[in-house]
Amino acid sequence: MIRRLDEAKLILIALPVMLWTLLPIYHLFVLSISPQDAVLAGDLWPARPTLQNFALVFGQKHYYLTNFWRQLANSFVIAVATGVLTLVVATCAAFAISRLRVRAGRTIMNMALATYLIPAAFLAIPMYKGMGNYGLLNTRTALVLAMIALASPYAIWVLKQASDKLPRELDEAAMMDGATPLQLFRLVYLPLMKPSLVAIGIYALLLAWNEYLYAFLLLSSEREVPLAVGLGLFLGADDAPWNLLMATGLIYAVPPAAIYYVFRKHMVSGITAGAVKS
Amino acid sequence: MSVTTLGSAPAYAPGRSRPGGRAYWGALMLAPYLLVFLGLVLYPVAYGLYLGLDTQSYRKLFQDPIFYRTAVNTILFLTIAVNLKLAIALALSGFFVVDRAWVRVLLVLFILPWAVPSIPTILSFRVMLNPENGMINQQLFRLFGIFDGPPWLTDPRLAFASAIMVHIWKSLPFWTLILVTGRLAIAKDLYEAASVDGASRWQQFRHITWPSLANLYLTSTILSMIWTLGDFNSVYLLTGGGPADQTQVLATLGIRYMRNNSLDLGIASIIVAMPLVLPLVFVMVKRLSKGGEA
Amino acid sequence: MPTNAIRSIAFGFASAAGLVLAGPVAAQETLTVWFTKGFYKGEDDALLQMIDKFQKATGVKVDLSLYSTEDCVTKSVGAVEAGTPPDVGYCTTYDFRTTGQWAWEGKLEDVTDVIEPLKENFQPQALATTYLMHGKTGKKAYYAFPVEQQTMHITYWKDMLEEAGFKEGDIPATWDAYWDFWCDKVQGGLRAKGKRVFGIGHPLGVAASDTFYSFLTFANAYDVKIVDDRGRVILDQPANREAMIKAVKAYAAIFQRGCTPPSSVNWLDPDNNVNFHNRTTAMTHNATISIAAKHLDDMNNPALTAEQREQAKKNYYENIRTAYFPKKPDGGTLPNLAAVKTAVIFADAKNKKRAREFMAFMMKDENLKPFVEGSVGRWYPVTVSGAQSPFWTDGKDPHRAVVHKQFSDGTIPFPFVYNYKFTAVNAENVWAKAINRIIQDKVAPEQAVDEMIVRIKQIAG
Repeated sequence: MIRRLDEAKLILIALPVMLWTLLPIYHLFVLSISPQDAVLAGDLWPARPTLQNFALVFGQKHYYLTNFWRQLANSFVIAVATGVLTLVVATCAAFAISRLRVRAGRTIMNMALATYLIPAAFLAIPMYKGMGNYGLLNTRTALVLAMIALASPYAIWVLKQASDKLPRELDEAAMMDGATPLQLFRLVYLPLMKPSLVAIGIYALLLAWNEYLYAFLLLSSEREVPLAVGLGLFLGADDAPWNLLMATGLIYAVPPAAIYYVFRKHMVSGITAGAVKS
Repeated sequence: MSVTTLGSAPAYAPGRSRPGGRAYWGALMLAPYLLVFLGLVLYPVAYGLYLGLDTQSYRKLFQDPIFYRTAVNTILFLTIAVNLKLAIALALSGFFVVDRAWVRVLLVLFILPWAVPSIPTILSFRVMLNPENGMINQQLFRLFGIFDGPPWLTDPRLAFASAIMVHIWKSLPFWTLILVTGRLAIAKDLYEAASVDGASRWQQFRHITWPSLANLYLTSTILSMIWTLGDFNSVYLLTGGGPADQTQVLATLGIRYMRNNSLDLGIASIIVAMPLVLPLVFVMVKRLSKGGEA
Repeated sequence: MPTNAIRSIAFGFASAAGLVLAGPVAAQETLTVWFTKGFYKGEDDALLQMIDKFQKATGVKVDLSLYSTEDCVTKSVGAVEAGTPPDVGYCTTYDFRTTGQWAWEGKLEDVTDVIEPLKENFQPQALATTYLMHGKTGKKAYYAFPVEQQTMHITYWKDMLEEAGFKEGDIPATWDAYWDFWCDKVQGGLRAKGKRVFGIGHPLGVAASDTFYSFLTFANAYDVKIVDDRGRVILDQPANREAMIKAVKAYAAIFQRGCTPPSSVNWLDPDNNVNFHNRTTAMTHNATISIAAKHLDDMNNPALTAEQREQAKKNYYENIRTAYFPKKPDGGTLPNLAAVKTAVIFADAKNKKRAREFMAFMMKDENLKPFVEGSVGRWYPVTVSGAQSPFWTDGKDPHRAVVHKQFSDGTIPFPFVYNYKFTAVNAENVWAKAINRIIQDKVAPEQAVDEMIVRIKQIAG
């Protein structure tokens, strides 16, 4: 069967696929090491590659980068806060629905699923108005709350699926020993759920780190926005500093890619489980 | 594929809401999510609907020629992007399940577009595809003397195709991975038995692979339709809806109206889109909440 | 182990929440101010200095946000709609897109009391553009502050012109010959040398105010009358429709003849500058001298190398020229279409008292002048004294001298000054739509203009 496929045929498939996959990333990299006067030259490799762009970025030495570190920190704080808070919200909810079997659990699950499925871009403007009414616009809290609202439905769903698979006998045994629901949650549930929790925490964290639309809408000040929005500012420049844009973009892209690869096993099993299984 | 224990006995006897009881803790632990849901989803949506009651907005919306263009674009984007992407993902998943060390290494690289945030990569596309000074057309000029390379982002049709291409570039790894996982779950001995019987590869696909994947493929299609409908970045960051607002889709239209100082139209356009979105959401909720049975 | 897990989660939770919520605790009085980010560091530096002075003088903390040109107006519109605007807003496209509409809808604070004592300081035609109608009360009042203004100029590379085999004296002064010269002769001359360049940078993007600025300049060249003095649309009168068809044809022709980069249909406001700096175009028309000014900014930028500064200096004084438009097709002089940039205080502002103080402070000569001049010529003053400053009048600067001469010759305003609904016409960029109908969809100019008229009447009739 497949094993007997010609190696040459496989390579014939692999080449265009890799070219397609890597070309934009390669282009990003080439620009990030190009000097300013070569930015629009369209070279496959810059005549004089330089690391000066990264020095300018780290030193905040360009007019569009005056808040680079601050924005990087914003991205970090927003992502971590979203990851942690989503975990808290979703784990509790999944435990209540799956293990404590609260009444209306199914309805709530369906509501959450519906929220998850309505495209986030369609919720953006109502959410924006809502945040305005709460007086939270232009605060990072608004973005974190919005990201929790967007991340938790899927998180609850995956965690509920995972916890449905834990054997019931565990709960019963714990109860026989006189454990309260809270003890059951802490001592039995959380340790067993650890792999899914890692996956979901990272899912929410990456969702928040990568978000552009909500960050752009909900935050204003250059000092409050995450790096994603800071990158967008470059498009307003009149001297095409694409090299700095790409250098900054590369720095912005490394943490999520690294997290993804480090936790790859968790991610693939956790994230694809839901879609594959049902 | 697996069947969960939906019918098994509850862990605790049905409890009243006494402190320390099951129902008490259940309510308490659901409370954070309920708060999030009520405050951050239900309230804004209800408020949006309330704002959408103004019939003036709909009159203005239907006067706007760009709205029609956007509606057509959205349907085209959905149909082409989703089917093309899943067809390619299905084919590539066949490649990535080949048992070779170097193919596994390639899979790791192949995931990059999904692992990397979209903003820098889409902006990279945008610069790369610039008709005058982008890398592609500059190289076409230098290598082949083609003075006017393809107008990637300036011809409305090609710009729209480019946006679809970027969308596929970004989301192809995810769906390929899903289908790879689906393929790996198919029992190996089925293929072995088939090849003993002399079945061709096409016959194997037709009679073993496809029947096992069909349901997953359908679920993926619906889910991907919903996500594609909400893809803001691929269009906004690549073409900005241009040239001449000819590549706008529903996901980017709200921002356009906001920019044009007519946010009410943005809300109206979302409400008008609901008949398209809600059935998809409804079907998908049903499929997902079945919770176990394949 | 589980307790450890809980502890670490609890710690993460607490520290994350702490980091997020720690921000807005300070009790100091604040004033929220949104501005467009300048093109050059000098612009922002002057603003920051002024804010610093204001903070020291009043003890009020100014919370300043700077946005790119497009984002600034988008964010402001969203904030006004959401009922949470800043206290003071100054985006350089408010005047084109929102000021008149906001005033009409009651979204702006009446600032007549602040303007009245300063009235004599302003150039009358600039001040007139901020005297706006409130839709509910039906009364006019000052709803905005004039800050600075702009008009159209031609910018070209003298060295590219010479490379193409021409001298500056060869540039024709009549309308058709002028565009043919750049389109055919200069572009042809450069192409003959194997250069992948274009004669003209011609903005066509729907999302750019450059496009409607340039286009309405063409419309003026053909004597198109769009509205009358009372704001009524008169574009559908046969003579005006005919003239508009000619203007649309002429504007589209430059693209159709391949004299502007194909990507100009997607250009945002900075992109004609980008392409000019990059020498992709030999000439462009631009509503400020921001292109030349960038090189002036560069030649004084310590972050650049000495050679880069030297090159910038050479570009500014020798290679780049700022020039007037040619004569109109009928031989008359093309009027200077000016736009006055407006700052506003929002009706829903939280701190209107301080916002008034801030604007009164900003309007003082000693504060406004450094701010305007900090843009190294990109913006022209709206005050009488600002325009008399040696910065403009000493004639030592080749680019500013042209700008000063144009403003001294007198200017005319945009249609939206007569009918605020034209801000919506501009926001939707009906003009660029018509041009794009011709060049992309290949419809006849007559049909494109008829569609334009229908849409304008829908929006502003």
